[in-house]
Amino acid sequence: MNKDQRKPGKSKTAQRRDFLKLAGLGTLAGAAAATGGAPRKAEAATAKPATSAGYRETEHVKKAYERSRF
Amino acid sequence: MAQREEILEEDQYRAHFYRLLSRLLVRAPDQDLLTQLSTLNGDDTAIGRALDALAAAARSATPDTTTDEYQNLFIGIGRGELVPFASYYLTGFLNEKPLARLRQDMATHGVARADGVSEPEDHIASVCEMMAGFILGDFDAPMPLARQSEFFDRHIGNWAGRFFEDLENAKSADFYKAVGALGRAFLEIETTAFQMAA
Repeated sequence: MNKDQRKPGKSKTAQRRDFLKLAGLGTLAGAAAATGGAPRKAEAATAKPATSAGYRETEHVKKAYERSRF
Repeated sequence: MAQREEILEEDQYRAHFYRLLSRLLVRAPDQDLLTQLSTLNGDDTAIGRALDALAAAARSATPDTTTDEYQNLFIGIGRGELVPFASYYLTGFLNEKPLARLRQDMATHGVARADGVSEPEDHIASVCEMMAGFILGDFDAPMPLARQSEFFDRHIGNWAGRFFEDLENAKSADFYKAVGALGRAFLEIETTAFQMAA
């Protein structure tokens, strides 16, 4: 998007919101139960320092680490 | 954790995408996830078309086929077809400076590896998970957009587009081609949106 498409008088933040609304991201919301709305547990290699419960090390990251030692 | 109402709808959608990408890249999808993905119905946007393609790919996939694919793509014998770590994409080697920089920024933002985890944090699934957490305020208060943008530029925007493109074109990929296309389309939107707010 170039500057000419920006509406005058709108804040950058509002323009960004408009852009994101038009980008179709909301389409995923219907599947949010699977992807975003379900109870969250950290599954990748990060977690909160205070509450790391729920993290599960995956086969993949274990292998990835082994691989990183070549 | 922050109340969800405080987070703009568009930002919650962004977090959903990061979380979905993280979930698909940390391990192969199970039947539940494939079933849910197969019901996605995209609109006529780049993202909508990518979601339609992902739904179609999910309908013709099974946990067995995606597990094999995942194995060949990311694990392999010795190594997989792709190496989905920032350090590898940015330097050609694992565990180099990009990982050190990420660890510094994680410390700044109150994120740490869980106990007992020893693998590098700069895996694509991991940085996507962090972005979702920053947006939603899982680690601390929801992160201001300017800080999100900075983290994105330093740890995602500078390599993940190439990774998703590689995934889209990987020989071992079938279902994961659609994941690559979705990731690439989403990153383009993120990049543009961050630039607009800058």
